[in-house]
Amino acid sequence: MRTLIAEDDFASRKFMLKFLSKYGECDPTVDGMEAVDAYLMALEAEMPYDLVCLDIMMPKLDGYQALKAIRDIEQERNIPEDKQAKIIMTTALNEGANVNKAFNLGCVAYAGKPIDQAKFENVLRKLELI
Amino acid sequence: MAEEISEQKVLDDKAVVEEKKQYMTFRSCDEVYGVSLENVSEIIGFQQYTEVPETEDYIKGLINLRGKIIPVIDVRIRFGKEPLSYNDRTSVIVIQVKGTVLGLIVDGIEGVVEFGDSEVAPPPSVSSLAKQAQKFVFGIGKSDGEVKLLLDPDKLVNDNDAEDEEKDEDEEE
Amino acid sequence: MADDMITEGMLDMFIFETEQGLETLENICLESRDAGEFDDDHVNEIFRIMHTIKGASAVMMYQNIATLAHKLEDVFYYIRESKPENIPHAELLDYIFEVSDFVNAELEKIKEGAESDGVADDLIEQLDKYLKKIQGGKGAAKKEEQAAAPAHAPEEEKPHFYIAPVASDSSHFYSIFITYSPDTDMANIKAYIAINALKGIAEDILFMPSDIISNPDSAAVVLEFGFKIAIQTTEDADRIMELINTSSGIEQVEINECTGQEFLEFCTEAESKAPASTAGEIVLGPIEQPTIRTDAKKPEAITLTEEEEKGVEAVKEAQKEKAEKPAPKKKKPAKKAETQSFISVNIKKMDLLMDLIGELVIAQAVVLQNPDLKVPGLDLSNFKKAAAQLTKISSELQEAIMAMRMMPLKNTFQKMNRIVYDTSKKLGKDIELEVIGEDTEVDKNIIEHISDPLMHLIRNSVDHGIESNEKRASIGKLEKGKIVLEAKNEGGQVWISVSDNGKGLKRDEILAKAQANGLLGNRSERDFTDKEVYNFITLPGFSTKKQVTEYSGRGVGMDVVVKNIQEVGGVLDIDSEEGRGSTMTMKIPLTLAIIDGIIFSVAGTNFVSATNTVTEFIRVDEEQLIIEPDGEEYVMIRDICYPLIRLNEFYHIAGGKEKISDGIVIILSYEDRKVAVFADGLAGEQEIVVKPIPSYIKKVPGISGCTQLGDGSISLILDIGGLVDKK
Repeated sequence: MRTLIAEDDFASRKFMLKFLSKYGECDPTVDGMEAVDAYLMALEAEMPYDLVCLDIMMPKLDGYQALKAIRDIEQERNIPEDKQAKIIMTTALNEGANVNKAFNLGCVAYAGKPIDQAKFENVLRKLELI
Repeated sequence: MAEEISEQKVLDDKAVVEEKKQYMTFRSCDEVYGVSLENVSEIIGFQQYTEVPETEDYIKGLINLRGKIIPVIDVRIRFGKEPLSYNDRTSVIVIQVKGTVLGLIVDGIEGVVEFGDSEVAPPPSVSSLAKQAQKFVFGIGKSDGEVKLLLDPDKLVNDNDAEDEEKDEDEEE
Repeated sequence: MADDMITEGMLDMFIFETEQGLETLENICLESRDAGEFDDDHVNEIFRIMHTIKGASAVMMYQNIATLAHKLEDVFYYIRESKPENIPHAELLDYIFEVSDFVNAELEKIKEGAESDGVADDLIEQLDKYLKKIQGGKGAAKKEEQAAAPAHAPEEEKPHFYIAPVASDSSHFYSIFITYSPDTDMANIKAYIAINALKGIAEDILFMPSDIISNPDSAAVVLEFGFKIAIQTTEDADRIMELINTSSGIEQVEINECTGQEFLEFCTEAESKAPASTAGEIVLGPIEQPTIRTDAKKPEAITLTEEEEKGVEAVKEAQKEKAEKPAPKKKKPAKKAETQSFISVNIKKMDLLMDLIGELVIAQAVVLQNPDLKVPGLDLSNFKKAAAQLTKISSELQEAIMAMRMMPLKNTFQKMNRIVYDTSKKLGKDIELEVIGEDTEVDKNIIEHISDPLMHLIRNSVDHGIESNEKRASIGKLEKGKIVLEAKNEGGQVWISVSDNGKGLKRDEILAKAQANGLLGNRSERDFTDKEVYNFITLPGFSTKKQVTEYSGRGVGMDVVVKNIQEVGGVLDIDSEEGRGSTMTMKIPLTLAIIDGIIFSVAGTNFVSATNTVTEFIRVDEEQLIIEPDGEEYVMIRDICYPLIRLNEFYHIAGGKEKISDGIVIILSYEDRKVAVFADGLAGEQEIVVKPIPSYIKKVPGISGCTQLGDGSISLILDIGGLVDKK
């Protein structure tokens, strides 16, 4: 599984990297803009990411914007649904409104911080990523 | 991208200073007592109270404090001393512990003193304090050459004299 | 349960909605008990409820609940589609209750921050067997069809998962306000540094203005309006201060601990303010359809949705969205009462409102009774008109506010349904519960206090009051064992009674026990009135039960019941007829009542009694006074004899008029009894705010509260019942 991580906080980024590296290659980025760039590059190289983890509070482009951007790109390039990246938001914000907004924009899961690793793994399994 | 502007943090001077607690002190019948300032909501001059029948003799009644109805007790009587007629030095210290409010009628207000925990000694087992007063005093502190008897506001406010006596009797059985 | 709040909004909502669903489920089941089957509406509703619970628990990653709900949903899907006849109803009810109990138990664990580790495999298996049973030998083919039931297809839409963060219940909420000195450069960056520093310890964090990084103009906003942060963290304010107070330019940092509720509000407030791109201009998104509800339980989740700009897709209403996700929501037939829109409000705000209205009443009295008005020769006609208008509006305001705190007893009563069902079933008794007056409204505070006592009284009736089926048959009681739960308003009180047609209280047995415990003193048994005898059972440890059962009989019940009732200023009235049944009535005064009162004085002490308790006041002659040989006094008024209570003697108040003709006699009515009270004179009539006697002072019999009069003095409120009883 190829994973893209977008997280501006150093400690959180390290945590995600460590946690997800066991399932495959992990690429870290530090803000929304870099994340979208990385996503595009991977598409072009025909090695797209299977999983994208987006923090919501990031500089340059925030999580929602990055999420939308990625979905827009996928639409433009007519990428079929089953080939679209699975996107999980990782964030400290847990309000219903935030969560629903994220779902509406096209993420498949929303993980509140501090992340429950067991549940996260469970979801990855359900999504057939691992 | 966050610009890491690092600023020099001035470390706190964590000198080994003990935390001192403040106490409101007052005089009642030649003794000076103190009550933790956190529990004192206000201090007012004496004002006329409305009696409530069928209550202990130290419960003088109720006063109207800006819309709030507060019970007041005479500390002298509570501590088993002779009551004094009220004059213009008489004051009422309103204490509050969680939701319960109580006004203490005292001879006069002294002032605020500070004691660190180490400066408070346990009350002596043999003392000249009246039996009724003893159960409220949790410690004594010395300042300005005078001994201040520190009262536990929780005990004052949850005063269940009758129940305690009953309990004593039950235990004796 | 106090104020522990889980503020992961998603979790809150999930718990709340699931609990609601289960409650409805239980009620439907109890409703259907007599009919012996579910009607079409019931089936649809149950299906819908289980479907929702299944979906929601799947999103929240509670697989055990989801699978169980799925199974029950399957059962009802079959029932709905194939309409099988004569399915075993009682058995189905049992399963449903078991499912409900399981889910509720898991919810409790979740609420406490623990793992939902319950295993429902057995139950699922049983449900499976039941389903197969009712499907009968309909043939494998049909079963296959059902397996691919369309109801399940729509859910294969996009799966969504919400991974709740690892719980930490030592979280605090703080609102932080930072002001920077006016000449500070790049205030927005400094603000961002503060946020960055806090992110490490934040479980949840919001700030305003939110575009501090992307928008350089936000610096001006921060300088002018300050920078607001709301944070959820386990750390304390000092740590926060340490982390923030590192930049130059900070003028002041204010940190206030706030409630979870306020934190939520900040979040929704922050959402609504589009980033202030032009300094100072704040565009508020329209607030759509608040879906909100009043609930006696604490986490009061506000769901507000707003439209946010900046090219981000508009968010649909959170509520509709959730319900529509699995399948288009079928509009329920309007069997339930019209759906009303509700708002959930922080209790503290309600309390504040109540206090203010109380003060308003008093202030109004001070104005209307002002001594300045008593100057002779003033023409007060205009004033009087204005005063009347003021009084009218103030009264309406009071009523409206008190109505807000009042809630119908319905919910509480409905819980009793389940208790009767469970207890009677376990004991093998056939008992019917009739509920009257469940719409009676009562202050929220009271509901919380009487729930437990009520449960205890009902269990008592089921366990000890009503005889077993055989016993009833053998003594010729043909009618079913029945418990009547009734609520009604009486004067300034609400009466809640539990009556049963069981065996009643045995006077002799109780007296014997009392005798054994040395409670009779010198009085002979005959001297005790029935009421006094019955009251013995409320003493701690007193129980004539020879056997302690799981439900009652330990003798730790009745005294606690009475204590709870007394805490809200009420009394427990016990009535019984041996062989016929018993009635326990809780009589509780409506708290924070604002009532019309008549004031009378006795030697400088003022007493007030509600106007509707005063039948008349009259000056009485010596001849009308009757003194019995035992010293008891009565007054004769128009051929009726009333017992007389001299207030000054009763309360040991020094002074006060002695001669009957010098003072005034006031006839007060209490239930169906009347009593005459002797005072010095009447002091007036006034609207009073009933305030409780401060908790420090132990309850005085005959006094139910106090109040402030127009002149600022304090008056004691008479409790007639207490007066009469004490005498």
